[in-house]
Formats: sequence, C-alpha cells, structure tokens
Amino acid sequence: MHNSSSSGPPAKPRVGASQASEASLKRKRGVFQKDLQHMMYGFGDDANPLPETVSLVEDIVTEYITDMVHKAQNIATKRGRLLTEDFLYLVRKDPPKLRRSSELLAMHEELKLARKAFDVNEDSLANAE
Amino acid sequence: MKDPFEAAAEELDSPPESPIPAEEDAAVAVDVDEEEADAPSQPQASAPPGPVGGGGGGKGKEEEEEEEEENMDVEFGKFPSGGDPDKMAKMQAILSQFTEDQMSRYESFRRSGFQKSNMRRLLTSITGSQKISIPMTIVVSGIAKMFVARIVMMERKESGPIRPCHIREAYRRLKLEGKIPKRSVPRLFR
Repeated sequence: MHNSSSSGPPAKPRVGASQASEASLKRKRGVFQKDLQHMMYGFGDDANPLPETVSLVEDIVTEYITDMVHKAQNIATKRGRLLTEDFLYLVRKDPPKLRRSSELLAMHEELKLARKAFDVNEDSLANAE
Repeated sequence: MKDPFEAAAEELDSPPESPIPAEEDAAVAVDVDEEEADAPSQPQASAPPGPVGGGGGGKGKEEEEEEEEENMDVEFGKFPSGGDPDKMAKMQAILSQFTEDQMSRYESFRRSGFQKSNMRRLLTSITGSQKISIPMTIVVSGIAKMFVARIVMMERKESGPIRPCHIREAYRRLKLEGKIPKRSVPRLFR
C-alpha cells in the first residue's frame, strides 16, 4: 500500500484550470482541509485522515453546496435577493436538517442579544465610575 | 447488527452523534437508549488525538473571539438535548465515562465546522454577489456538516483511515437513495 504524503496540498489556486470558464470557480484546493480533517475524525475516521480522502470529501461537499445554492437562487429570483429563508425552504423536507438549521439560527440570535446586553452593561459600568 | 447508516439517520435529529453502533457495544459499557446519543466508538488502533490539538484551535483566527465564544457555548453550555434535564443527565453520565480517545473524538465532533470566512468566500463565488449574510453562512455550514456526517458515517470502519474509494462508494449509494441533489435544471413550465 502506498503511504500518503505527510502534508496536505497547499491552498494554491490552479491557474490552468481557472482559465477554463467563469463559472468554474478559481477554487483553491484545500480551503476546508483543516476543518474537514477535524470533522471527519469527529465522525469516525482515523485521527489523521488521508489527504486524498479529505480532498475528495471537499470536492463532494463543494459540489453539494454549489448545487444547493443554485437551487436556492432559483427560488429566490422570483422574489428578489437571496435570503437565508431560501435555504431553510430547501431543506424543509429533511426534518433533521431543518431542525438543526433552526437551532443554529436561534443560538446565533441568542448570542447576539447576550453580547449586546453585555456591552450595554459594560458601558453603564464605565459611566458610573 | 444495525447498519451504521441507518443508525446515523435515526439519530440525525440533533447533531449527528456517533458512527458505528456495532463497535460501541463492546467499547462502551453504558446503557444508552436508542434515540439518544450513542457514545463515539473508540478507534481500533490507539490513535493519538487527531489533528485537533486542543480542540478547535484552527478556528477563530480570522474571525475574532466571537466565533470561539460561540463554539464554547455550543460545546459546553448547550447539550443536544436542549435543556431537557433527563437527557442532560444521561448525557453527563455518558460523557463522564468516556475514555480520553472518545472524549477527543467527541470534542472534534462537536467543535468542528467550516470556517465562516471560508464559507462566505465560497458562497460569494458561487452566487457571484456580495449578499451573503452571516446567518446564511451558519445555515449552509450546518447543512454541509450534516452532509459530511452522512458521507463519512456510511463507511464501515474496517481498519485505518478511510480511503477515497470508500467515500466514492458511499457517495454513489447516497446518490441512488436520492439524498444528493442532482444537477438542478430550472423548471420552465409549472
């Protein structure tokens, strides 16, 4: 069996490929490499996933996201600009994804409010002194 | 012997929990009920804690502390049960029995995610416009992570790291099941 090379591909744009077309993004390779390594480990892969596997997963995920965004755009153009709700609409038939998305958004809101409250408190404390 | 993919699909109501129920019977001595999180199985080889190096260290450099703060809250403050004391107690019980390896993997599982800045850049390049809000990146990152979960967890963990051929096989199977969106064709006539 061949041993995998130690380090992953550097995040350099592939100049040749990018000249192909506008639509084919000048996508850097390995943009999500680090994130994906942690993710795959968390989901059951080896502690050090093979670089080629990570690259493949990155390609697949990017394709998935691209497709999802195009679908969302198709929905959005009827109304106007692209909104977060369009993505929620896309996953409406997939309860776990919908639930998770809603959960994430709710947490984000909560954190925003919490931070705002914190800032306000800091200000009033500063003024009081 | 449940199919790991089915188990994963069952558990996908919260962040997908662990892979491979078949192994975890041996690895974990905790009695867990089907619906709730199954403890992550221990890697066969005594693998050192992964590229994580202290959990989520890679994130939060470009984004300021906001993102790390968020992750910390997600990690410890909010359990997947969402405040249900019963489930939380169960979760605590499981967590307390984790080995170091399991804890490390679980940490990666919870904290890992797509960096907001990278995701935003990708979304911008796809849409060709600037109107990418933060909630949008959050949602897409979440959905994408669940997708990665599906792909990776379809793999039987035979031995060693997952190879690309496994991923391709899983991807093909998912496509057959219709879980992967096909190239979308605009519907002209409704």
